[in-house]
Amino acid sequence: MSAGHNLADGWRNVRTIAFLTLDTLFWSKKTIFVMLISLFILGLSILGRLIMSYHWIRAPFTSAQVFAALMSTAVIHFLVLFVTLFYGTALVSEEVEGKTLTYLFVRPIPKPTVMLGKYLALIWICCLLVLPTILLSYLILYIRRDMSQFLEDFRVLGIDFGIVFLAILAYGALFGLIGAWLKHSVLAGLVYAFGWEGIVSYLPGFTRKLTITHYIQSIFPHEDSASAIAMLIGQRTDALESVVTLVLLTLFLLATASLILREKEYILEQ
Amino acid sequence: MTSVLEGKGLSKWYGQVIAVNNISFNISAGVTGLLGPNGAGKSTLMKLFTGQLRPSQGEIRLFGEKIWNNYPLFHRVGFCPEQDAFYERMTGEQFLSALLSMHGFAESEVAARTEAVLEKFNLVDARNKKIAAYSKGMRQRIKMAQAMAHDPDVLVLDEPLAGMDPVVRRDTIRQVRAWGREGKCVIVSSHILHEIEAMTSTILLMHNGQVLAEGDVHQIRDLIDRHPHNIFIRCSDPRRLAEKLVGYPDVLSVRFHPDGGALTVESRKPDEFYDRLPDLMLQHDLNLEEITSPDDNLQAVFHYLVK
Repeated sequence: MSAGHNLADGWRNVRTIAFLTLDTLFWSKKTIFVMLISLFILGLSILGRLIMSYHWIRAPFTSAQVFAALMSTAVIHFLVLFVTLFYGTALVSEEVEGKTLTYLFVRPIPKPTVMLGKYLALIWICCLLVLPTILLSYLILYIRRDMSQFLEDFRVLGIDFGIVFLAILAYGALFGLIGAWLKHSVLAGLVYAFGWEGIVSYLPGFTRKLTITHYIQSIFPHEDSASAIAMLIGQRTDALESVVTLVLLTLFLLATASLILREKEYILEQ
Repeated sequence: MTSVLEGKGLSKWYGQVIAVNNISFNISAGVTGLLGPNGAGKSTLMKLFTGQLRPSQGEIRLFGEKIWNNYPLFHRVGFCPEQDAFYERMTGEQFLSALLSMHGFAESEVAARTEAVLEKFNLVDARNKKIAAYSKGMRQRIKMAQAMAHDPDVLVLDEPLAGMDPVVRRDTIRQVRAWGREGKCVIVSSHILHEIEAMTSTILLMHNGQVLAEGDVHQIRDLIDRHPHNIFIRCSDPRRLAEKLVGYPDVLSVRFHPDGGALTVESRKPDEFYDRLPDLMLQHDLNLEEITSPDDNLQAVFHYLVK
């Protein structure tokens, strides 16, 4: 069989597993919770818009500033973290608890393919839930009769999409790995996300580079408080280096998760 | 006969719990029943057969090859799990096609096989229904369907008849026997022993993670000949028959049936008992209405062997 044929078969298997994973992942209570977070962010956008429109407070701030604050705090450090944490840790555990993993593991496909398929489903579902929230927030904050600002910042919105996508890739791979490896993966993920990432990224010195947040902050196009703190305690990493690091980190985490899935035995309780 | 599945000194433990304890076996083509009570280690053994678990000790080979992480080998295996677990929001057709497509078939082949298996398991009308809306019997059928849709050489069926209605159960038993006749290696587990008996006489009897007996059920019956054997007799005058029987040294006890028309005899030498009985009935002008042995099934064999 040719390499191209093998590749096509492999891709078909990845898609099929993604399709099966979406069935267990999307239709769960997690989705309701994530949607509530999204609605909360949209609520904040509406509130920001009302404050701007009706001058409820004297402090002058622009749509760009509100959008930047939402992106850096609510979206990147909250929504993206939660969505990747919940779905990433559930990638394998959900099928272990639901006892459907058997159907995948008795097929003539390598377990790394199973991991890739599941990861694809994770990226798909995270993008589906996060990107529309960002777009809607942008529309809520920017749409007005004078569309010049809307068009001017549209490029930044594109960069935001790219950064969020990279963040989803990296955090998704990390939480996917934790989910494939540990039994109490949600707890471990929460400790990492809001302990390690939340604290270490603001420490001076090299340790900041051991967080995903650091690389995301380094390519963040907005001037925001988190970035300002980071600037105070040290230099940002170069944008290209940050992107390359995030991509390589994703590949490494994904490869490790695949290896764990291949070697670990999953006991489905009778 | 060539061995399809072979285990040597096979053990599997989960932490401190030993599920399969140093067993060796050879399973050939045809139907083999895996028998034993809950917790005997049947499901663990089936997971070892299908590469879902790795042996803790010893080895297990399918067609001479190791099973764990040997993905190409899995194309030759079909597994029907015991648990009632599905991708509930998928339709039956989606479920079968998705799993079939993982076997490397072309899309047209996947469609054709899905169609064939839906028909075979009488699921055509329910093909577009979500699995969540399936009845217990339909769920059991689709579980069987996914196991054999890719036409494997080895079928491992963990409690396949559970929840099936009598008609489908009868058809499935016939199907399993047909697969065995076709030369496939079918391994069926059950704790409802007469079901296994209806499918095969070749059994592997398990208890506490060990194989108590292996082979033809009648050979296994020979193993237990030293144990007392119960024979139920309904005749015209049970009291008179009992009076004659108690004089024989192999007869250990006689119990009357509550309706007064029958008795159960416990004999140490069943063959001699059966040889003697017709003459005894003739001599004393007794009419035999029914004779059965409650021990003539696998449940009794199991009870004897684990005593």
